[in-house]
Amino acid sequence: MKRKSIKVILSLILVFVVSCDEPETVVTNYVHPDGSVTRKIEIKNGKNNFKKSDFQVPLDSTWIVKDSIEINQKGDTTWIKRAVKQFKNVDEINIAYKNDSGANKSYSRNAGFRKRFKWFNSEYRFSERIEKLSAFGYPVKDYLNNEELLFFYSPESLKQEKENGPDSLKYRALSDSVKNKTDKWTIRNFISEWTGEFSRLTEGKAGTDISRESLKAREAELEKIIAENDKKFDSLWANGVILKKFIGETNALRYKSEADSAMKLAENIIINNFKDYSLRIVMPGKLIGTNGFIDSSNTLLWPVKSDYFLNEPYEMWAESKTTNSWAWVVSGLFLAFVLTGVIVRIIKKD
Amino acid sequence: MEKGNEKYNKVLNLLRKSTPLLNSTGDIENEVLIRIKKINQSGVNLSEVIDFLFGWVYIGWVRRSLIAAAMALVVIFVYQQGVILKRIEVLSRQTIIINNGNAASSSDEIDKFLTQFRNSGHRFPSMNITISESQMKELQESFKEMQIKYKDLENIIEGDPDLKKLIEKKLIENNRTKINL
Repeated sequence: MKRKSIKVILSLILVFVVSCDEPETVVTNYVHPDGSVTRKIEIKNGKNNFKKSDFQVPLDSTWIVKDSIEINQKGDTTWIKRAVKQFKNVDEINIAYKNDSGANKSYSRNAGFRKRFKWFNSEYRFSERIEKLSAFGYPVKDYLNNEELLFFYSPESLKQEKENGPDSLKYRALSDSVKNKTDKWTIRNFISEWTGEFSRLTEGKAGTDISRESLKAREAELEKIIAENDKKFDSLWANGVILKKFIGETNALRYKSEADSAMKLAENIIINNFKDYSLRIVMPGKLIGTNGFIDSSNTLLWPVKSDYFLNEPYEMWAESKTTNSWAWVVSGLFLAFVLTGVIVRIIKKD
Repeated sequence: MEKGNEKYNKVLNLLRKSTPLLNSTGDIENEVLIRIKKINQSGVNLSEVIDFLFGWVYIGWVRRSLIAAAMALVVIFVYQQGVILKRIEVLSRQTIIINNGNAASSSDEIDKFLTQFRNSGHRFPSMNITISESQMKELQESFKEMQIKYKDLENIIEGDPDLKKLIEKKLIENNRTKINL
């Protein structure tokens, strides 16, 4: 099995991220007070070639589908597939995710809905959650500050807008900083994933010198070894030189196959084949909380990328409230009744 | 027959002479007065209604419970509204609005735009248009053709300075007319 250098891995990730061949998909959830959800999907493609296996979200024959085309000022044609389906509740969405046969079928996704009656108001919470991929990595917040985190989670259009806006210098510097830090984060995740998988595979066979704790404590050391040998990483790994340096000659010879298997598993997690898309949520009533962004049409928007759920679950949530008018009227009448009673008593006492 | 009549008259006289023994003349007087008042009063008695509705104010535990419930409602209302206002304030500070979100051109936005257009007074009948693939191709071709003709026109104008000046003049005049309007 041919090994890839860390830089090659990073380049591949970038290639996957900026790939233009995949359809651009926007999923919109219209949440209703009774918990039902009208789900709309808009898939834009440069070619009139929509394959079910390319769809980022579940879409089957039970949906109402409309096809159309758009021609821009340059004369470029975009084929658009618009689909809509009414789900009785989030359980139906979760079943659809479970039975998904599209591009992201192997990722654990689920939707949640909660309604709370609070007399004067009713509060609603809708969320879509993607479970984390890695069991051993580090959360991105360990590497980025609050401003960088906000930029990291921002939709591409917002990033571009800021990088080309009035404070372009500031945001370009911020963008570079985020890129450098996330590169380091990806490398450390890769190493952490490898040490985690390697210690799991050698558990019970090897001594305490290659236990999970001891390897985790030496991750920075491995990072340094890789950085020093980055250009020759492929050959040095294949020859077992890097492994010998890290875990000693005896262990390297004994556990070479486990080390290779762990490398393969770490590669599969870091270089995953998740197809990005955007998620939008329209809540009933007035919005009172969210971790999303608001787009030009006053709709909540989240970009969905694999980086966001590499080491921690990615939950896109929104909370809203509707006013229970009848409860306000009943409460008002009750208050007036009690107040009048108290006044009557005071008058009669006098 | 005469004897019988005499007996009857005697009994009658006896009854007439024996007056009833009244122990509580005051009660009878009150009762008579109340009945006279009732006859004079017409409709519903307000104080009776008030007594019926607010009789609970004289029962200690009911009064205290209802006052406590009313106060609890006021506290809940103030607390809930306070929490909601605080959350909305936090939300307005944290949420970022994207001017050109990638979802801006979805069909919903077109619907929204059409609704706004209709509401603005520029009324037009709502309708569905179905276009076949061949018609769409025709539209594409005519669009491209129009672009080519536009380019040609631009080249002609660029190549003739007099024509360019004339068109510029006309455009300025046209803009002025628009402003005047």
